[in-house]
Amino acid sequence: MSRGRIFVLAAIALLALEPVMAPYIRVDVTIVSAALLFTIAAMSANLLLGYTGLPPFGNAAFFGLGAYGCALSIKYLNVHFITATLFGMVAALLGALIVAPFLVRRRGIYFGLLSIAFGQVFYFIAYRFTDVTGGEDGMAVPRPYLVVSAFTFKETTFYYLSLAVFIISIVIFKLIVQSPFGRTLVAIRQNELRVRYLGLDSNRFVFVAILISALFAGLSGALSAMLNGFIAPLSLDWHQSGDFVLATILGGSGTVWGPLIGSLIYEIGRDIISTITPYWQIFLGALFVACVLGFPRGILGTILARVGAAPLSNEPEEANWTQSPAIVADHRG
Amino acid sequence: MSGPTFNRRTFVKGAGYGAAALALGVPAFIPRLGEAADAIKIGVLEPYTGTYAYPGENETIGIQMAIDAWNKRGGVLGRQIEIVKEDEQSKPDVAAQKASKLVNQDKCVALIGTVSSASSLSVQAKSHEMNVLFFASGGHTDDVTGSKCTWNTFRTCHSTWMEAHATAYTLAKQFGKRFYFITPDYAYGHALQTAFDDVIKQIGGTTAGTDLTPLGTTDFSSVLTKVTPAKPDVLVVLVQGDDYTNCMKQADSFGLLKKFPVGGPQVELEPLYGLAPEARTGYWGIEWSYSSDVCLGKGNNAAHQFVKDYFAHYLNTQKKPPTARQCFGYVSMDRMLAGMAAAKSTDSVKVARAIEGEKFQSIFADGGYYRKEDHQLMWPMWVAKLRPNGTPSDPNDLFDVVAKHDAASIEQSVAEKAKICKMAYPA
Amino acid sequence: MLEHAGPQIFNGLVLGAFYAIVAIGLSLIMNLTGTINMAHGSFMTLAGYLAFAMIARGTNFWFAFLAAPIIAVLIAVIVERTLIRPLYGRDPVYSLLLTFGLSLIAEEVFHVIWGANTLPFAPPASLSGTLALGFMNFPVYRLFIVAVLVLAFAALAFFLYYTRFGLRLRAAVQDTEMIAALGTNTQLLYTINFGLGILLAGIAGVLAVGLLGLNPTTGNTLLMPAFVTVIIGGMGSLYGSIIGGILIGLATSLMTLYVPAASEVIIYVLMAIVLTIRPRGLFGEEGLFG
Repeated sequence: MSRGRIFVLAAIALLALEPVMAPYIRVDVTIVSAALLFTIAAMSANLLLGYTGLPPFGNAAFFGLGAYGCALSIKYLNVHFITATLFGMVAALLGALIVAPFLVRRRGIYFGLLSIAFGQVFYFIAYRFTDVTGGEDGMAVPRPYLVVSAFTFKETTFYYLSLAVFIISIVIFKLIVQSPFGRTLVAIRQNELRVRYLGLDSNRFVFVAILISALFAGLSGALSAMLNGFIAPLSLDWHQSGDFVLATILGGSGTVWGPLIGSLIYEIGRDIISTITPYWQIFLGALFVACVLGFPRGILGTILARVGAAPLSNEPEEANWTQSPAIVADHRG
Repeated sequence: MSGPTFNRRTFVKGAGYGAAALALGVPAFIPRLGEAADAIKIGVLEPYTGTYAYPGENETIGIQMAIDAWNKRGGVLGRQIEIVKEDEQSKPDVAAQKASKLVNQDKCVALIGTVSSASSLSVQAKSHEMNVLFFASGGHTDDVTGSKCTWNTFRTCHSTWMEAHATAYTLAKQFGKRFYFITPDYAYGHALQTAFDDVIKQIGGTTAGTDLTPLGTTDFSSVLTKVTPAKPDVLVVLVQGDDYTNCMKQADSFGLLKKFPVGGPQVELEPLYGLAPEARTGYWGIEWSYSSDVCLGKGNNAAHQFVKDYFAHYLNTQKKPPTARQCFGYVSMDRMLAGMAAAKSTDSVKVARAIEGEKFQSIFADGGYYRKEDHQLMWPMWVAKLRPNGTPSDPNDLFDVVAKHDAASIEQSVAEKAKICKMAYPA
Repeated sequence: MLEHAGPQIFNGLVLGAFYAIVAIGLSLIMNLTGTINMAHGSFMTLAGYLAFAMIARGTNFWFAFLAAPIIAVLIAVIVERTLIRPLYGRDPVYSLLLTFGLSLIAEEVFHVIWGANTLPFAPPASLSGTLALGFMNFPVYRLFIVAVLVLAFAALAFFLYYTRFGLRLRAAVQDTEMIAALGTNTQLLYTINFGLGILLAGIAGVLAVGLLGLNPTTGNTLLMPAFVTVIIGGMGSLYGSIIGGILIGLATSLMTLYVPAASEVIIYVLMAIVLTIRPRGLFGEEGLFG
């Protein structure tokens, strides 16, 4: 068995044992559930940033659409767990279908800024339409049934549910990025012009990538809404999008397992440090800074690079032909 | 691309590895300081970062004062009380997760706190799921004791309905019945507006104009320029917190405060201290004041002792007198512990039943009680005229209390509430 | 409703002037090095706190108004040399994330030093009060902001077009390789450019706390409108930042009159429209960011 596989199995085993370890390592099950769901959202950002080379600063909107879609379906249609999750994902997909045609026409930082703009419009809608979304007061999300009500209503069983969904998600993610589709995305990131010359419509690939990203984010949102029992418009703000991107870069954008590491560090780290000191934001900010300066490949990426196994999609973004020519010229040594 | 940055890079990398290792290993080694095995643990959920950090810290001080008082008397049920604080960052999802953590991991028997309405509702929902007592000390939205009321949640601060009704009548009596509203365009603002509209209908007043200011408005100039042509009797400002500070500051810069009387349903000392004295004017609803006997109650020793204790222990570090937030924290914690003592138990259902409906005296005038039907604390609310520079002896004493309204006159009746609040105890 | 439009338009222009000052600083930093400075708001807040601290110690407003931005620039230079320089030549996403991290640190540091509560900061008596303009009474302070903008822009234009250093700066934006070959110390140029951008941020910051309350998050609320201004006006064009700022100010003001609920989201709608139709903005240079 390869080293990679061993690590993966060890990670999954550790996660499976978390509820048992929780009292000793002082990391509550709910926090790890949240971290796993956060990972799914980070994976959605990873698909666009790491593999396609597009900074997704509007994914919180898809996350929020997933959450509200789920919440509203529970409130008005009284559906159970799986249906509610699907409603959330469909809501996110619909949102993506609306904005993707505009997003595909841009690359680089313009893509990022445009995604922020759309994200903020969705945020505004969630905030303003109090009658539907509860507005600033948010919406309570009672947990629906799954087979047996006890399955979802206890924290520990919800944790295993989240873990299962996470494992399924990461398997699907791996399949996607290792498929011809996924490898085309990486090619687009490296040199879109060449991809076009080879006869492929790169815009269509980007379009589908946005849709897939939205599905992942929507899944994460729906489950998070049910985990917390609550959803509020803040979850759609661009700061939330930034958090997803950060977790991805921290762990290693362009790697499959990077977002997990980044999310665990971010969510659990934030929880632990915020309990110790109200000044936890300093540590978080310092983490950002250290990561960008010292670990451009992210933690996992740096480790993989050491052993020579870093994937192509993990290359730190160098200035490419889309950068200011002045800078490129000056820093190409 | 290797080069002269090599040294700094390795340093940063090494520091990064070290920090990561430390961060992963640290939690196992943090003892919760002073963890007495037998203590009763109460979870405190307040914002300690972000816009509401200041009220959050103030509420915590009130909570701590109540705990100190009880611990000095021997605690509750022979056990000392401890609080476990968590920063909910005014984010409802974080609040829900921390609530779960406090109950499941830290074994807290009850929860207390929150400032923002969304967080109050979030913790209310989560604590209800966990069947754990929750005192919403500082979230004002009507829903907490309205459509979302639950058996396990008690709310201390006044509801939005109470705020509007306490002030509307006074403003109309003082200045006239033609109102101009500056309303924040979200749930809280809408609720206040509805409540004010209710009063206007009753007194036969008119609305000269309503300006909805959306989320994120830092500049109120466009709204303020519309006020003068509308010629209202009084400008009613419904925005809160930082928005309040910005709006009043800018209203002053436009000369509006000299032209029109101004007032509103609620003001707190915290944002007022951020304003220059010229902008501190008008008639506002206040929820408590440390200096006025109308608020504290003539001869109310508990109240005066509370203020004295605060001055003795906290004035040096806080530099400001106690605000309504300290009052919310204190009353909430005090009544929770009293409930436990009365019920002779920390079981949430027993304690809730012991608290509801019980009349008590506390650090405010006339005493109060948490209404059985919706768990809203029924206590008076006051209206104050602002003193820009306080009094000669105390420049922080900004509230000149002019009116007191008792709870029954300003909150919806039990019958009206019964239409929206359906509370059910577990079987 | 049209008689109300007059004051709103005037108000919008003044608001736009304020956004323009912030945007120009941001634009300067972006143009030369491709650095997206999410900490711009933090530097503004820093200058505001420094001014507050100086005035509390007894200096007068004018001294603080000039000194605070300069101190902020000194700090900025240290930040640029240690933290931002390694990012030149990398994708702008990295500078965005790093400066975002800096803004988190800054907000918390302000909290530690000055507390979470809003501090009272009033403009001096000479700038308070209103001026009767016929159709409305307008705050003197806001007119002061316009005056500062005009002066700042004039000074910047003079610097860029009539001094040798400004010449080098403009040349560097066009072709850094060439100017380096001609012997200019480009690293120094980047530092000075950054400092210039922060100087403007500092000035805007001291102005801002006269309008808004002073607390750890004051500058951040102005960051997004400033970015939108740069995008609409056009990255690479300082003139565009002014026009963009005016457009944003007018849009916000007029929306308040006609569709109040949309007055804050309108800037994002405009941003989306510009990015979709003409990403380089009204006056921007083609291909600056791909």
